Amino acid sequence: MKAIGKFFFKLLKFAAIVYAILFAVFYWDLDGKFLYYIWEPLMIKRFDNMKRADNTMTPYSMKDPVE
Amino acid sequence: MGITLKDIKAKYRELFVVEKSPEEKNKPFDPKKAAHDFWYGKEHEERRLGDLYVGNTGLYKHREWRGVKDTMYYFNMIWLYNYAHMVSDIMKYGDGPKAIVDFTKGTLRYRWMGQTYLTVMHWFDRGLEGTRGEAMKASAWHYRAMVSETIRQFMRMFEADKKIHGGEAPEKWNKTIAHNETLSGNIFYGWRDQLDDVALEMIPYFVSVHVNNHTVLNYIDAAQSIGLPSDPCPMCQAEYGLFVQDDYPDYSPVMLTSNEACDGSVATSVLQDWFLNRPLYAMPQPMRYDDPLVQEHCQKEIEGAWKFVEEQFGIKMDWDQYVKHAQSFNKLTEFEWEKWDVAANTPYYPINGVAQALYRIYYSQDGDRPIWHETDARVKAIMEKTVKNKIECFPKTRHRAIAWSCAPLYYSNWCTWAYNCWGINCVINMDSLMFDQYLRTDTYEHALEDLSWFNEKAPMRAMAVGGHEHILSLFDYMERFNCDMVIMYDQLQCKGMQGIHGVFEDEFRKRDIHAIWIPHALPDKRTVSRAEIRDIINDYMTTVMREEPLDPSLLDFDDAMSW
Repeated sequence: MKAIGKFFFKLLKFAAIVYAILFAVFYWDLDGKFLYYIWEPLMIKRFDNMKRADNTMTPYSMKDPVE
Repeated sequence: MGITLKDIKAKYRELFVVEKSPEEKNKPFDPKKAAHDFWYGKEHEERRLGDLYVGNTGLYKHREWRGVKDTMYYFNMIWLYNYAHMVSDIMKYGDGPKAIVDFTKGTLRYRWMGQTYLTVMHWFDRGLEGTRGEAMKASAWHYRAMVSETIRQFMRMFEADKKIHGGEAPEKWNKTIAHNETLSGNIFYGWRDQLDDVALEMIPYFVSVHVNNHTVLNYIDAAQSIGLPSDPCPMCQAEYGLFVQDDYPDYSPVMLTSNEACDGSVATSVLQDWFLNRPLYAMPQPMRYDDPLVQEHCQKEIEGAWKFVEEQFGIKMDWDQYVKHAQSFNKLTEFEWEKWDVAANTPYYPINGVAQALYRIYYSQDGDRPIWHETDARVKAIMEKTVKNKIECFPKTRHRAIAWSCAPLYYSNWCTWAYNCWGINCVINMDSLMFDQYLRTDTYEHALEDLSWFNEKAPMRAMAVGGHEHILSLFDYMERFNCDMVIMYDQLQCKGMQGIHGVFEDEFRKRDIHAIWIPHALPDKRTVSRAEIRDIINDYMTTVMREEPLDPSLLDFDDAMSW
């Protein structure tokens, strides 16, 4: 019984720490700062350097009319 | 050159420390007031929201403290709730655990996904800035619904997408209808039990600009890079720029397009026909849409679209499915009318201008989906509470404004700023008033007639380029919603609206109406910046209205590089 109580107390403590960390991330806008200064530049670099199909090479011709 | 302690301190100050004004620094510390501000939040006039921004990024040194109750609601029920539900929505709408793989592939393949949508919580922050209590809650539920529906759509795209599945067609490729974003989802109700319909540009272009306006500039530039002209509507440019950059998901064997709203969209159809190179049905809508002579023609176009889907997918349209979804959609329309009634006749309406506009245009374009009903039930409960308890949700309202014509997508949250800074409460807007059509289902003829009307009352068509008698209905709505001010959007690249500019000027003078023109270029913030839009409103409020701002810190700030 004591072990179960101890386990739940530990779980509660862990949950409280996680909750406090999440609140700090929220309050100081750390999610926004991460996405703005780290994630987005990485993504821009990735997409700017991505090899893409040249769709202007798609042939253009008259198609059968759809009735 | 290494990084010094001084550099770290300077960066810390830049990112986290809110500098106090000299007057505030000199004020003696009042513990009673500090405790009051902590518990209830600061009074509107003392908030100084503009001081919270980090440089020109739009990021916050810290998010707004709204008092204990509202801050904890925002943290738990908006920030945490939405991050958690984004993950669960990806799993729910995707193909079980495989959904995470599809989502990751999509994020790394498409710029509009990888660069844009992860920043979504800042979209909430911008739109909900300064809101409190029931207004914060009801508006946030609208945002939540839009996020959920966006996830549903991009997960369907990714699941069915050939490009992220090595060029092979996944099973759902043959079960998904692609259509232009201005073609309403309600056209396809008859197949909702067997196929799914996803608007092609809605997520890669339209919603993305609201969330993070950096991405769209690539598509506009791509369109111009192959010699296409730069003066058509930038919405159309961005729509076909997606194809030039090969940044569209290939999730359907067919495409249905529209000429809505203008001949710029006709060009989009032509270019999509070229780039997609697959069966395509163009469903035109007449410009002078309420001419009785064109109604039969419009109905035949819808029947043509149905026949096209039947032939391409080999599945007959199910009339019972159509009736089921049309009747369900009517319930959304009925609640919308209730909302308008409260907004028009009371100060207890709990939804802010940007949430009202975006939610309405999104669900009416998208069609009947469960998330809209869930959201309406939550919002109805909040609205009943505010009306019953006479809660004034925007108590600092000095002016009730109606916004007319098409809004700047990169600054749809201008109305949140305008309320915080000047007390201009944007009660209703043109986009909300479109699609005002009940769908009868008693007979096939009635259903077709109403469906045709619904689609003719689409965004930009009904009141922008649908004939001058409709655009001037502004004045009737102004009276109906008890507004004393007009915010007149001036889309600089919309030839239709530019042509009628002078008529409005004359009408405003004749009727002695306060109207503020807001120039913009729809998704392209480079033409008219957000700061310029604020300057125009500031100038009008100080020189014509001779008013003082509620929050002077919001008068002049740089957000040029913000999402």
